[in-house]
Amino acid sequence: MTEAATAMSQTGEGGEAADWQRLHPATLALAIAGLGPRSLNLLPAVAALGFTGNWMWIVPAILAFLLLSLVVAWFQWLRFRFRVGDDALVIESGVFARQHRTIPFDRIQDVSIEQGLVARALGIARVGFETGAGGQENDAHLDSIGLDAAQALRTTIRAHRSGAVAAPVSDSPERAIADADRLLFTMGPRRLLVAGLFNFSLAALAVVGAAMQFFDGLLPFDFNIFNPMDWIDLAEDYGLDQWLLAHRWVAGIGAAASLLLIGFASGVATMFFANWNFRLTREPRALRRTRGLTTRTDVALPVRRVQAAILITGWFRRRFGWHELRLQSLASDGEKDRDHQIIPFGRFAEIDPVLAEVGIVRPDEMSGWHQSHGVVALGGLVGALFAALGGLAAMLFGQPLGGLGIAAGALIAAASLFGARFHRWAEMGDQLAIRRGWWTQRTTLLPYASVQSIDLKSDFIQRPLGLATLVFGVPGGSALAAHAIPAIPAATAHALRARILVAGDRR
Amino acid sequence: MTDTPAAHPTDPFDAKAFNAAEGLDPVDPAYAKVLRIATALNLIPLAIGVSVFDHLLIRHVDGPYGLLTALAWLAAIVVILAFPARRVSRWGYRIGDGQLRVARGWLLRTDTIVPFVRVQHIDVGQGPIERWFGLSHLIVHTSGTHNSTVTLPGLPADLAAAMRETIRRHIQTDFA
Repeated sequence: MTEAATAMSQTGEGGEAADWQRLHPATLALAIAGLGPRSLNLLPAVAALGFTGNWMWIVPAILAFLLLSLVVAWFQWLRFRFRVGDDALVIESGVFARQHRTIPFDRIQDVSIEQGLVARALGIARVGFETGAGGQENDAHLDSIGLDAAQALRTTIRAHRSGAVAAPVSDSPERAIADADRLLFTMGPRRLLVAGLFNFSLAALAVVGAAMQFFDGLLPFDFNIFNPMDWIDLAEDYGLDQWLLAHRWVAGIGAAASLLLIGFASGVATMFFANWNFRLTREPRALRRTRGLTTRTDVALPVRRVQAAILITGWFRRRFGWHELRLQSLASDGEKDRDHQIIPFGRFAEIDPVLAEVGIVRPDEMSGWHQSHGVVALGGLVGALFAALGGLAAMLFGQPLGGLGIAAGALIAAASLFGARFHRWAEMGDQLAIRRGWWTQRTTLLPYASVQSIDLKSDFIQRPLGLATLVFGVPGGSALAAHAIPAIPAATAHALRARILVAGDRR
Repeated sequence: MTDTPAAHPTDPFDAKAFNAAEGLDPVDPAYAKVLRIATALNLIPLAIGVSVFDHLLIRHVDGPYGLLTALAWLAAIVVILAFPARRVSRWGYRIGDGQLRVARGWLLRTDTIVPFVRVQHIDVGQGPIERWFGLSHLIVHTSGTHNSTVTLPGLPADLAAAMRETIRRHIQTDFA
């Protein structure tokens, strides 16, 4: 069953038909599992049948839909094939419009292996090929093949890469092999629990609260934990109501306690699901990370492809010395994140060795930090002004809730004025450190060698103040948030730009 | 890494140009005509649309008929006549020292430097209006997510081709 792909003997495409492989047949089982969410599309049709009184047609309609979906999935499976050549991977897909794609091994930056819950039961895995072409849809994947076949494929591609690229690499191969597969960082249940407690999230509260509102009539018990009145009702059952009405704050504490509990529980749960059995190892050419409780992912990040490091910490966890490390490269981490989360929750003593592997130095408080000009608060101030004006207009029209807008405006203004003091940057040898944020502090460590282009921006506000903003073009990361040093003296910006370009040239 | 100085005359066509102070070369003045025609092609249909709207709707609701039409055409004519020349004078470039420098804009000015070794590939493009005036634009692609393309318009066609050759000699094959 786990034999990945049965060799094809189709004689359609010339004489080289022998090596073509199919996806694992169990992929069809995955397609069935995927039908559940998709059958929601059928709901309007079912409703229409119900309203017109044709009840007996509902079951046949659903069966026909399921059958049709299966036939489509089967056709897609039948028409999808791939071939592992000597130096390239060839994928052909499409039922009617055929797509033929060739991916040279040299251009594959990262092979990721991902297994969902169903896939783990079936022993299959989804293999993703990151080529740095940009955009999720541009990257090829095999969904899914057997796990052993996936690992064999990755070994093949890695072996090819290390054989072909050995010459221009700076560190000698002997040294690279010597420290093969060193364990750099791991997260046990204890660490996960601590990380989860710091991961306290009020976002989950909103979801739970909305769900309780929505399902209020559907739940078997009539109890909304966010409603103090419900707590009073609960007390009534135990004859405590008179005492409680006199001490209403108890009900308030009950509501607050369950809020806290949900916040902590969701934080711990997300941390456990995402990072269960987290292992970061140093392979000859890459950092390899495996993690996940239900969905296990196995991602390798080539060390030479790392463009920048990002250290993130919160206002509270910084007091306890906990930090998160992300590495930016052309490859993106799964569907959601642009940067690879390399250490989700660790101390500097654990982060520094990993940074050393990618040749990046962590700055300390002594590193000669410079501050951006206070004008960076202007954007937030303008937003605050609009919020306050909107609130004022609402109040003038007799809507008392407009006062909220004014309060929000004052809050935003205060936050942006305060936060503006935390835009800092430092020059450290041939790398740059950019730090911003007070509540969530982000420190970007950018080697000069990663800089592809530099913008020096000034506008009608910064120019009279003698200021300029530097924006760096770096491979990878988000297109919306480029690395930038905002509002520094124009002469400093010119000199810094010249130094960075000279250093990048020397490389 | 020495490069031949740009074949273009270095003295700016406008003494007050922003570029002179920053040591940048101006783009070809003919680019103003290209911009003017492109702006006209955008704005005149818009003005016509406003006139039709005015004719069909405002007259029926007893509004001030003719006001919108007059304003739209006035704005279009001012923008078409006055702005392109000013916009062109804000564009500047400098090629040399192993890098390409492109500056644009005044209200929001952006001054970009791309080292030749960081260039992934180069396009030289020519639209129908540009062809009429013998101009081209140069597009430089980098592997950075920000500034993945840097465009320099308003170059004489032969100069654009020469710049492409200059940059091409420096392009690395591997990116990292």
